[in-house]
Amino acid sequence: MSSVIHVVISVVGWLVFAPLIPGVINRVKAWVAGRKGPPLLQLYYDLARLWRKEVVLSTAVSPAHVAGPAVAFVSILGAALLLPIGQAGAPLSFEGDAVLFVYLLALARFCMAGAALDTGSAFEGMGAAREVSYAVLAEAAVITALLVLGVQTGSVSLTRMLAPAAGPGTALLAAGLFMVLLAENCRVPFDDPNTHLELTMVHEAMVLDHSGPPLAVILHGAALKLLVFCVLLTEAVVPLGNVSPVLVAATLIAAVLVTAAGVGLVESLQARVAFRRVPLLLTTAFLLCLFALMIAWERNPL
Amino acid sequence: MTPGWLLLGAAGCAVVAVSGARWAPRLWLVASLGAAAAALAASVWVLVTGEPWDGHLAFALGGEQVHLRLDGVGAFFLALLALVGGACTLYSQGYWKDDQHPVSAPSGRAWTSVLLVSMSLVLLVTNGLHFLVAWELFSVSSYFLITRERRLRDVRSAGWLFLAASHAGTLCLFAFFGGLAARTGSWELGPMHDHPELAPWFWLALCGFGLKAGVFPLHIWLPSAHANAPSHVSALMSGVAIKMGVFGLVRFSGWLPTPAAAGWVVAALGVASAVLGVAFALGQHDLKRLLAYHSVENIGIILIGLGFAIVSSAHGDETWGRLALAGALLHVWNHGLFKALLFLGAGSVLHSTGTRDMSRLGGLWRSMPWTAGMFALGAIAIVGLPPLNGFVSEWLVYLGLFGATSAHGPLAWAAVPAAILLGVTGALALACFVKVCGVVFLGVPRSEDAARARESGWLMRAPMLGLSVACVAIGLAPAFFWPPVARAASAWQPAWADSPVPAPLVALGRFHVALATVAALGAGGLWLRVRRTGVVRGLTWDCGYAAPTARMQYTAGSFAATITGWFSWILRPQRYAEPPTGAFPARARFDQRTPETILERVVQPAGAIVMRAAAGARKLQHGRIQAYILYVLIGVVGVALLAVIGRDR
Repeated sequence: MSSVIHVVISVVGWLVFAPLIPGVINRVKAWVAGRKGPPLLQLYYDLARLWRKEVVLSTAVSPAHVAGPAVAFVSILGAALLLPIGQAGAPLSFEGDAVLFVYLLALARFCMAGAALDTGSAFEGMGAAREVSYAVLAEAAVITALLVLGVQTGSVSLTRMLAPAAGPGTALLAAGLFMVLLAENCRVPFDDPNTHLELTMVHEAMVLDHSGPPLAVILHGAALKLLVFCVLLTEAVVPLGNVSPVLVAATLIAAVLVTAAGVGLVESLQARVAFRRVPLLLTTAFLLCLFALMIAWERNPL
Repeated sequence: MTPGWLLLGAAGCAVVAVSGARWAPRLWLVASLGAAAAALAASVWVLVTGEPWDGHLAFALGGEQVHLRLDGVGAFFLALLALVGGACTLYSQGYWKDDQHPVSAPSGRAWTSVLLVSMSLVLLVTNGLHFLVAWELFSVSSYFLITRERRLRDVRSAGWLFLAASHAGTLCLFAFFGGLAARTGSWELGPMHDHPELAPWFWLALCGFGLKAGVFPLHIWLPSAHANAPSHVSALMSGVAIKMGVFGLVRFSGWLPTPAAAGWVVAALGVASAVLGVAFALGQHDLKRLLAYHSVENIGIILIGLGFAIVSSAHGDETWGRLALAGALLHVWNHGLFKALLFLGAGSVLHSTGTRDMSRLGGLWRSMPWTAGMFALGAIAIVGLPPLNGFVSEWLVYLGLFGATSAHGPLAWAAVPAAILLGVTGALALACFVKVCGVVFLGVPRSEDAARARESGWLMRAPMLGLSVACVAIGLAPAFFWPPVARAASAWQPAWADSPVPAPLVALGRFHVALATVAALGAGGLWLRVRRTGVVRGLTWDCGYAAPTARMQYTAGSFAATITGWFSWILRPQRYAEPPTGAFPARARFDQRTPETILERVVQPAGAIVMRAAAGARKLQHGRIQAYILYVLIGVVGVALLAVIGRDR
């Protein structure tokens, strides 16, 4: 029974806090640019409004257009439930859940790309093609990062892998994971969430034809994915395994806010790179994780 | 009833099927399904009880007593053969009908039965000589099934390539079994760990069975053969026939003492097959050719697991080796199921539109909802996404690899690239199947043929439905399918007998059930919400363009262009471009084709050199009798010299 309560509390927590992160990023961007900027809770208002709006569906689309975002949302939520929060650990945890985590995010990608191709639009095809292509390199980096954590702890369960400190390779791992975070969540320098030109979009192009409740689900899912990556990055870097719950909560909130502020700063201070340079950047992220793996080996001679 | 009686029943049904194939299609169908059911029951019996069945027949073949044996490994493969074979026989009655193919359908039925029987015999016999007989029958019947439409040039050349490649493989196997028989003094096969000098013979087996399995770079025959065969044959070839190569590798890596490098080489070949197989698949525009390259990829995943299991078995370090082997074996089943499903789905598309070219398809979900839905299910399974069966087996292989990274020394160094490249393979396969599903089934039809498509009949849909149910079942209840895998694993390595269901597998199964339920509820709930808020229909957004045409959709080639660009060093794509010219360009064209690089750049040039050398030698044969007498004289003198020189030694 307690595990059911744990799952329910976690689901509510993830869903409620997720839309805050894009708000924080936008506040940071506004602050750097000296603008007033949208309110911190803007995404909550947007979601509430979209949920009530009627839907414009293209004449070409199949049921996958609506089902895709829903399944993607559920799988991102499933991935979130595998992440441990403090001493209680993850609501769902077993040996090998680290691999499941990666593949749940892949399932979300499959559904979103499928829903995008469903409209028959060249722009959405383009966006989907970019998304799945760049994900190949991002996935290599994520698997390498998981191998780092696995080598350090001798486990393939996120609850145990994320408990201790990452050691001297932490800085490299953090840098690699941060780049993966930017790429997977379609932030600058990989993609610009504010662009208005369809030809240059990645994630935004995939959702051009979505509206109303499905778009709300997509936006909420994207915010959730961003929060998931922020928490993963934080826990890979900060040892949160055996400290008091209050300290865990404080550290986690502070670290997630710092990460979000970092994303905002990168977005304010840097331009996005040309598409042909994206693979180079992602390869860099992969190499950073690989070097962290070598350090982990050096430190844990078995 | 024992497995022996069940197999006898299967054999009886098979005899009826073969003899009735030409004139009684109904009888053939019933007898074939009966044989498949009996064989399935026999293999389930062996897998459940764990007791191998031995049958000594009263007659001899080629001077050797016929001895059949069904143990864990054989039963594991026989179960897949029976299930997929049954599905394909049923499908063939809707797909390759007598009234459309009056000549090739009746003989095709006969050859299908011969193929199924010969593959079963490969799994059952325990005698090297009989194995070779069954193997040869299996290759020849495959050839006749692949070349059902032999008036087409492509089909004929695919058939010849298949025949040549499979005989090159058979040659290796002749040498292999001959060598074993010479060393052990008997054609009888079985565990031979007391003959450590046999280890190097494993390489011959790897060559012979690797050719059949389609391991990179020995896969050259596979894409054209699987693409040009009738779809039910492609499904049978890709789902089961190439698994006979895997069966050989599993069988003889278990029975023979393996060389120290064997596991490493198998795993390395697996990694190469996985990554390059999917890279080649991404470059294809032909639906069935694309699926054929995915067979190379999945054989690669199986070999990664098998390779690490061999290494682990040699090191005596067993926990992660067990998981890797279990992953490899379960992937044999899984790939057999979802690849057969996908090929049957592709056949359904081909049957209804008449084309395999993806650039002429599109929007088929509207006219063929069943095919589209089941193909999408197969796609999710083959990409290895939760909650379906493909993920379960890949997950087991991952667990094996993660376990190996915490082992000593070189093992970890090998496991890290294997794990990373397995992840890359998964992401590439995802890109490929998003492309296939999107281009073939979603959007709007790109040609008249696609617009006129109609859903296939029940004879074709029912087998696909059965395979889909099997994929879902293994995905949602993986723990239930662990015992057969464990039986097969213990037949491979007796020290690994009686491994209980791993607790994480049970947890994964529960997670899959929850995920499937919540996802279905979520999709349904969102659809209800959309219905309540109201739906307005409009055109797809194309930057305000009001009259989009079907040709403006993104194509399969463009979708994969980024990734095929990364792999252009090996794909060597050929581009045919007519760029727009002048101030008012009237016509422009762009086409890109990915050839079978290994075949066109390596095998064919090598063949050309051999042919040139042969043409040079042909000058010796000119018809002048005086010169021939001279050759004879030179020959006699040469032999005499040899005799004189060799006399003292």
